[in-house]
Amino acid sequence: MSRLPLEGIRVADFSWIINGPQIAQWLATMGAEVIKIESQVYIDIGRINPAGMADHIAGPNRNGFYHALNYGKKAITLNLATDKGRDLADDIIRKSDLVLECFPTPAAKKLGITYDRVRAVKNDIIMISVSLLGKTGLEPASWVGWGPMACCFVGMFDAQGYPDPANPNPPPRQTGGTWPDYAIASAVTFHVLAALRHRNRTGEGQWIDASMGETVIGQMPEWYMDYFINGRDRRARGNRDDVMAPHNTYRCAGEDKWIAIAVGSQSEWEALCGAMGDPEWTRQAKFADQYSRWQHSDDLDVHLAKWTRNHEHLALAKELQNAGVAAGPVLDSVEIHHDPHLWEWGFFRKIDHREVGERILPNMPVRMSNVPELNYAMPPDLGEHNREIFGGLLGLSDAEIKMLMEQKVIY
Amino acid sequence: MANRALDDLVVVEFAEMVSGPMCGKMFADMGAEVIKIEPPGAGDEMRAHPPFPGDIPHPEKSGSFLYLNTSKKSLTLDAGTPTGAEVFRKLIARADVLIENHPPGYLDNIGLSYEGLNDLNPRLIVTSITPFGQIGPYRDWKGTDLIEFAMSLTGYNTPTMVDDAERENPLRAPGHQAEMMGATAAAASTMFAVFHRDTTGEGQWLDVPCWQAIASTSKLEMAAYTYVGIPFSRMRGNVATGLEPLPCKDGYVYVLWAADTHYRALKTLLHNPSAMESEVFDLLSGRQANDDVLRPMIRTELLKYDTEYLVNEGQRLGLTIGPVFTVAQAANHPHLRARNAFVEIDHPIAGRFEYPRSLVQMTATPPISTRAPMLGEHNTEILGRLGYSLAQQQGMRAAGVI
Repeated sequence: MSRLPLEGIRVADFSWIINGPQIAQWLATMGAEVIKIESQVYIDIGRINPAGMADHIAGPNRNGFYHALNYGKKAITLNLATDKGRDLADDIIRKSDLVLECFPTPAAKKLGITYDRVRAVKNDIIMISVSLLGKTGLEPASWVGWGPMACCFVGMFDAQGYPDPANPNPPPRQTGGTWPDYAIASAVTFHVLAALRHRNRTGEGQWIDASMGETVIGQMPEWYMDYFINGRDRRARGNRDDVMAPHNTYRCAGEDKWIAIAVGSQSEWEALCGAMGDPEWTRQAKFADQYSRWQHSDDLDVHLAKWTRNHEHLALAKELQNAGVAAGPVLDSVEIHHDPHLWEWGFFRKIDHREVGERILPNMPVRMSNVPELNYAMPPDLGEHNREIFGGLLGLSDAEIKMLMEQKVIY
Repeated sequence: MANRALDDLVVVEFAEMVSGPMCGKMFADMGAEVIKIEPPGAGDEMRAHPPFPGDIPHPEKSGSFLYLNTSKKSLTLDAGTPTGAEVFRKLIARADVLIENHPPGYLDNIGLSYEGLNDLNPRLIVTSITPFGQIGPYRDWKGTDLIEFAMSLTGYNTPTMVDDAERENPLRAPGHQAEMMGATAAAASTMFAVFHRDTTGEGQWLDVPCWQAIASTSKLEMAAYTYVGIPFSRMRGNVATGLEPLPCKDGYVYVLWAADTHYRALKTLLHNPSAMESEVFDLLSGRQANDDVLRPMIRTELLKYDTEYLVNEGQRLGLTIGPVFTVAQAANHPHLRARNAFVEIDHPIAGRFEYPRSLVQMTATPPISTRAPMLGEHNTEILGRLGYSLAQQQGMRAAGVI
């Protein structure tokens, strides 16, 4: 394997579940030595969530939720509820460049993972805290929560839904799965790398206080700028775009199959009409130009859906793309795992894991011409690197390690 | 004057709309000199997109453009002309990074292939952000944020917890979240390439597709299929853990009752209504099996209380519970105000108003936004620096190159 960009950088990773692990995932695949500090006292939910447990057979090393978020890392078990455990954590921090934590504020204080204390252990440390709404400010700084709750707070889920002419306050809906945790992770990773480069140039460390809510705000400017400029409180708009029409998902043949179609110019509209065989309805004056189509989007959608209803979604998307229209099938989890483009591009990877056998995991979404292979080492078993880290990095003897295990410090 | 973490980097942004410009903004707000190349005439297409003050379109007043292009310099340039390509090469010769979001093959077609740029400046990092990537059968497909999002599995699963699959069609997230994922993944990847360049001296070409970026936000849903064999369903099913905005007396709250301790705290919060006391609900399995009874009951009880009580008391009891705000409610929230989450920026034509301040807060090198450039505002400065005389610049302007 060629040299990776972050070789020589060590991360003391106290995070768990999704967003912290996804930040550490970026760092680990790019060559940083990520020491994931876990414990059987407070096990990463990714290891135990039944929804990801391979073939429904329970085991901390069998979970797809953990595997998908923790490849390329080293895992140790350290009980931070003990004094000795916290001392050993300090020893790891002392030898690290970055500290990553996503504890709620009260838990972080209790465990001593605050910037003031961590900086006292290592002065030039870069500490990354990711929390619901930031670790400073008013009462919400101490709330417990996760990505979707941050979206609720900042208006994202109010904006996610179906407009209803009969109801000025339609029910807020949720953006798929755990989207915000990942969206936040790559934004935070960029700033971590900027901080690391600053430290390399000046010797100065710092604290990155990432609020999931603020990161989401920064990614929905259409809503916030409209409020700040016009005082308008934008609400849910379905799939309606500010400019394009048609712009929606339309029902196709088969069970719960859909196609997305987006038309942004006159030539694309003419291409779409051509693909439909130039039906009579397309010649109505209200569909003649882009702005008029946009104004009559609802009418347009009704006509279009009648046409798509009899077509298979992928075949129709290909036909429309060949005609020059932006279109794509809404892929479910079976279809996406068989998608030829994703396989050819290198999005998926097959692993052969000693406990769960052959599986498929998604890679990081980048191809780098001079770093052809990232660190996709097997996701670690619980405590797999205890000996390497406590013995090798911290220099404890086998006898000391054995004793700490008996005392449930390494646990 | 605050420290700027990336003030030694020169970035050329040859990009429009969301993905490339957002990536460029992240570098610019961290102190890099970002030179934005815009087509002469109309400029970045985003200049024509709302919101505008009073809804009156004006190329210097698009709120979306103003936000996505803070802290940059604007150079108008038709890179497709021989003179334009020459200016482009001169810019590239001294740049660290080129961010571009044109369709694959476009740079080759105008004589600015990666190989040529790499010969000119072997240290250059070229970050290409596209809908589908530089290789693969969909490489030349047209993509927009809607298409990328809809195809991503996250799109199939938006909105979550569907009751009527015929009526509730898949939605994209508000705004341009597939393009934003492409932007932030590209920004992070570019920084990794900067580290690689700092140690090896060599640049490289990055291929960051928005579809793959947004698809990688469905890792759990993918694992549920490849590890457990269960195709992910967008239907409500038996998600007996809350996990959705539920109505209360004066709005909506988001509450999670997955663990048994959560459920006990929820009962306490709702003053132990007798119906919720049944021991069939004590364990997760019982709550899952009886979700169709339990959920309406919790909904009825929540309607008796207001957001402030439910959230403050619920958090005190250890519940994962929070308010569901509109954008205006959030923008005025004292917590976000206390954290200075917004910053006022003045613009000579668009005027003075607030913007979201930064994606994260940093103590030593905070991101700092200054106003977006007017179209071609920095032509004279940049062309002068590249050695073009004022007379030459006038000629370029007359020929429509700048």
